[in-house]
Amino acid sequence: MENIYLAIVLAPLFGAIVAGLFGRQIGRVGAHTVTILGVAVSFLLSLWVFKAHVFDGAEVYNATVYTWMVSDGIRFEVGFLVDNLTAMMMLVVTFVSLMVHIYTIGYMQDDPGYQRFFAYISLFTFSMLMLVMANNFMQLFFGWEAVGLVSYLLIGFWYKRPTAIYANMKAFIVNRVGDFGFILGIGALLFYAGSLDYWEVFAEAEGMSQATISIIPGTEWSLLTVACILLFIGAMGKSAQVPLHVWLPDSMEGPTPISALIHAATMVTAGIFMVARMSPLFELSTAALSFVLVIGALTAFFMGLIGIVQNDIKRVVAYSTLSQLGYMTVALGASAYAAGVFHLMTHAFFKALLFLAAGSVIIAMHHEQDMRRMGGLRKYMPITYITALIGSLALIGFPGFAGFFSKDGIIEAVSLSTTPGATFAYVLVLAGVFVTAFYSFRMFFLVFHGEERFRNVEHHAHHDAHHADDHGDDHGDDHGHGHHGPVEPKESPWVVTVPLILLAIPSVLAGYVVGPMLFGDFFGDAIFVAEANDVLARLGEGYTGVMGFIVHGMMMPPFWLAMAGLASAWYIYMRKPSIAAAAKARFEWLYKVLDRKYGFDEFNAFVFAGGSVGLGRALWRFGDRLFIDGLLVNGSARAVGFISRYARFSQTGYLYHYAFAMIIGLLVLITVFAF
Amino acid sequence: MNFEAFLFYFFSVILVGAAVAMITVRNPVHAALFLVLTFFTSAALWIMLEAEFLGIVLVLVYVGAVMVLFLFVVMMLDINLARMREGFIRFLPVGIVVAVAMVSVMTLVIVRHFHMEAPERAGADYNNTEALGQILYTEYVYPFEIAAVILLVAIVAAIALTLRRRPGTKAIDPAQQVRITRKGRVRMVDMKSEDKS
Amino acid sequence: MTFEIPDFMPVIPELFVLGMACAILVIDLFVPQARRDITYGLSQFTLIGAAVLTIALASPETRFTFNDTFIADGLSDLLKVAVYLITAVVFLYSRPYLQDRDIYKGEYYVLGLFGVLGMMIMISSYSFLTLYLGLELLSLSLYAMVAFNRDSARASEAAMKYFILGAIASGMLLYGMSILYGITGSLDIKEVSDYLITSSAGLNVPLVFALSFVIVGLAFKLGAVPFHMWVPDVYHGAPTSVTLFIGTAPKLAGLAIIMRLLVDGLGPLHHDWQGMLTILAVLSLAVGNVVAIAQTNIKRMLAYSTISHVGFILMGILAGTHEGYAAALFYTLVYAIVAAGGFGMIILLSRRGFEAENLDDFRGLNERSPWFAFIMLLIMFSMAGVPPTVGFYAKLAVLQAVVQVDMIWLAIFAVIFSIVGAFYYLRAVKIMYFDKPEDESPLPKALDMNVVLSINGLLVIVLGIFPGLLMSLATGAISW
Repeated sequence: MENIYLAIVLAPLFGAIVAGLFGRQIGRVGAHTVTILGVAVSFLLSLWVFKAHVFDGAEVYNATVYTWMVSDGIRFEVGFLVDNLTAMMMLVVTFVSLMVHIYTIGYMQDDPGYQRFFAYISLFTFSMLMLVMANNFMQLFFGWEAVGLVSYLLIGFWYKRPTAIYANMKAFIVNRVGDFGFILGIGALLFYAGSLDYWEVFAEAEGMSQATISIIPGTEWSLLTVACILLFIGAMGKSAQVPLHVWLPDSMEGPTPISALIHAATMVTAGIFMVARMSPLFELSTAALSFVLVIGALTAFFMGLIGIVQNDIKRVVAYSTLSQLGYMTVALGASAYAAGVFHLMTHAFFKALLFLAAGSVIIAMHHEQDMRRMGGLRKYMPITYITALIGSLALIGFPGFAGFFSKDGIIEAVSLSTTPGATFAYVLVLAGVFVTAFYSFRMFFLVFHGEERFRNVEHHAHHDAHHADDHGDDHGDDHGHGHHGPVEPKESPWVVTVPLILLAIPSVLAGYVVGPMLFGDFFGDAIFVAEANDVLARLGEGYTGVMGFIVHGMMMPPFWLAMAGLASAWYIYMRKPSIAAAAKARFEWLYKVLDRKYGFDEFNAFVFAGGSVGLGRALWRFGDRLFIDGLLVNGSARAVGFISRYARFSQTGYLYHYAFAMIIGLLVLITVFAF
Repeated sequence: MNFEAFLFYFFSVILVGAAVAMITVRNPVHAALFLVLTFFTSAALWIMLEAEFLGIVLVLVYVGAVMVLFLFVVMMLDINLARMREGFIRFLPVGIVVAVAMVSVMTLVIVRHFHMEAPERAGADYNNTEALGQILYTEYVYPFEIAAVILLVAIVAAIALTLRRRPGTKAIDPAQQVRITRKGRVRMVDMKSEDKS
Repeated sequence: MTFEIPDFMPVIPELFVLGMACAILVIDLFVPQARRDITYGLSQFTLIGAAVLTIALASPETRFTFNDTFIADGLSDLLKVAVYLITAVVFLYSRPYLQDRDIYKGEYYVLGLFGVLGMMIMISSYSFLTLYLGLELLSLSLYAMVAFNRDSARASEAAMKYFILGAIASGMLLYGMSILYGITGSLDIKEVSDYLITSSAGLNVPLVFALSFVIVGLAFKLGAVPFHMWVPDVYHGAPTSVTLFIGTAPKLAGLAIIMRLLVDGLGPLHHDWQGMLTILAVLSLAVGNVVAIAQTNIKRMLAYSTISHVGFILMGILAGTHEGYAAALFYTLVYAIVAAGGFGMIILLSRRGFEAENLDDFRGLNERSPWFAFIMLLIMFSMAGVPPTVGFYAKLAVLQAVVQVDMIWLAIFAVIFSIVGAFYYLRAVKIMYFDKPEDESPLPKALDMNVVLSINGLLVIVLGIFPGLLMSLATGAISW
């Protein structure tokens, strides 16, 4: 097995190295062939591993492959832990990655950085696999940082565009905040358990929950709670939870395939995966769970609200991603880890689908992303239309589609949870269902139905209407379409539509495994839930099969809320567009708050960025230039140089001086030590 | 003081005196001769310590071979004494201070702390040479062989560093001289007699 | 008396090298100058053969022979193989250099092989006598090699200084050993150690007196301050190919005799020699790093850099723990690899009639050859101890060992002077990358040299990323 695991991890890395270092030599076709082959090998082997673990009941694999170093008794290793949870993640990651690889052939067709792009996404696949297959915190952290790095590189893929550079800086810096917490959390665990290995740390969990730590003198905090919250802060950065979510909408500056792969389907779910993996720790700390629950609920509802006022098609999907990540986090907080991970999986499929469909629309509109200039695309792009509809239905949780099962599972679980803050969370996630349906179908109707607004757009109007951070003309530099008049949209090529179709299939079907996933023993020992918190078990008592679940779901409030959202979106945007304008005028303050995204960006820019710059400048002026540069660095350098110039004269070149020095040395040794 | 002690101090005083003289006298030939005297007296001391083989070897090898060779070298090379003596006086005070410090430290250590019993005397029938011969090629064969290699390296180094075939030298190769034939040396040339005009 | 034929198995590598060296000495007489590569090839064959034999005969258990004057154990196997490999690299780098200067002669390789034999004897010595003889064999070969370029006055001067100072140091070492013999009644390292453990009461002063002389002899061979004076002059004066040899493999042998003599033999006196080595280490770190800054000649600069590295090696030894010895061994191996690369670069840049000895000759190397500028950068970073090069791990291991025995002040001192030292390494990097080249001539194209030098440089980073490979070897060799 070890060789197979190694092959799964290394095949994409190989592709990345070949495409990255020899891209010019092997050309475009060579680059995409080698990377797609690498990922395809990885996918097929993952499929096999999934089969072996899930259906053939292979033993949980936990072994070290390579010991990097041993320092002070702490082993730094590369190793794999493969159980059902890992196998599922591997399958999702490699499948979505493979789809995105194929899709990219069409999407990046004209881009000069074609090979570079393929190298990056293959490298990402490698890093993500390292992350999910890790059996120790060192490797987890490596994968964590590596996916962050690739994300940074890809957001700034069009590096000539200032907004892209701003966005990737922002993503990087915000993630640093999260990672800082993350590594402190790892440190806290290492401090107590003395090991980086998952299982060895989990074995110490019981003791850790008793131990306390005094960070501020005079206060005693539970070590485990501190460690879990710190770890979760890492997850908040990577999985974009409030208030560290600010980077994710801006990350849409990157090419659409990576928005689908990294910023929707896989990387951003790393935090969810990590918390699920750490369930044996989180379960023992109610305070940490409560924290997770509240943060998740806030994200789920308030980020969804912003989605309503967005006009950029990709940003709507991005805010929807934020909101859905909030749902997953809520599930984690309610100890329904299986539901969270299940939603992670279904979400990976339908959100990747939605992103790629949005990308397909963007291609058809010649890199126009403003929905106000779309409409009526249904008849031009039938495949994209159908698949987008499937994706949207899955997203809002329409019975029978994948999202229904997972989201319903989460909401039900929260309603049963007794973790402090559960009621608050329940209200927010319920309200979120309406919001989700509303913005999803607002987007759907604006893009595919109604008036063909792209015909009325004059080049000038189009240009002026641009919002500062909207995408627009500057695409021209990179894509060279240079065509701004009314366009005749047409369906995208097969490399784009095939992945859409392939992703649409699991977006419908993936939900039907709800039985074993949520209520069965699918995850085995991978996820640990304390007796008192086991909401899914209680939920499972009433479970009577898939059809029963659907029927039951149709009688519950979430379904009706979703339908209400769908209906109001239809009514407002299809029937009476005046209502939207009127509401905007009436509730202008609310619109402004939402349009400003609650002012997080301004706050961060002013307080943190401004404050850091001010502090930095002050330190630079007084600390650096005056004290360190002037006195310490240059001063000591001058002193050393001075001594050196004189000390070299001791080397006279005379033999008897040398011999004399030796005799003196001997004399000193004897007199100092013998007496 | 018995006779043995008397002999010991007699030779020791000569040894130290000769050693000091060796580094202070101006004439290099005299210095070499003082060194010979030093060797002789230390050989005498060794013989008193029952190391008669080593004592004899010291005289034979160092006095008989090495020092004589050395004297030849000294006499053949025209060493500029004046230049060698430069700085001797200048560094004398420092040298003396260090030497005195060294000697006093060593004396202090040896007089105060070395209280070793002398080993049992071997009888008159004990043969030092025979004992050496027995272990030199058995127990000490490995060091002995290494010493041989060192000598080989010394030879190689000496030859490599001194043997020069300068292109301009007029050295004669006897083998070539012997092998010479008439053809290589004499060439018959037919010349017409010159016209007188 | 009875005499047993000693076991010859453990000494087979020594016998092989000796036999081949003698054979090459004779064969070389009949090889015309144009075919000198035969001698070279035979020498390389000897080293590789010796490596094969040593590895084939290696076993985890300790083997004694020749009345326990010869030892073969994990330490000796590792160090011997390292010596062969380093020497093979040295021979390879030397060839173009010697050819360009018309001193491509068989004696260079023969003397080199005898030097290797000397090192092997030192590494495997378990008696004062063999240790001393091995040292002399090595030294004699080195003296002759320094003077090898007879037309160079500077080389002759360096050889003379080296020879006389070396003789003084050997004398002191021998004097110290003879006092130890007088006290303990044995030349055998094991017996000396046993004697010291059982009955050293009241003998402390004479023992330390003898120890001082021994330490002086060892410190001279390693080049620790204040017995370092020969190092800059010899490194500078000797032909670069010989500097390359002196600067690399003999350090391994030097470490071996310190391990045998101080740790195995005089281990009970650890407290005393720890103090002595501390003084030497502190002085070496300070003088080596500070004086190197003022050097403009890169060979001299590397000489002072060697002195500072010796300070680090001594720090590892003086810790007196297994970790410390392993760290010192690791450091020495790393140092030998890195120094070989550094001097190799000097040879690479030199050519007929031109010695790339000055720092200025490296100016703008990046424009002339980005690849070798990068290799030199790796080497300089490793010497300075910049992660992730292996030099960093070497320094880290030594510092850890020192901290473990609560000599934190020494660790801090070493770090401070490493930072001072980083200045001149980084200056070399700056010169290569940011200055304009004065000399635009292309680098020579000797394939073997380029390949090996590249591997040598890359090894620095590969071992830096995977320090466990070398570290486990070092730890394995020390845990006897």
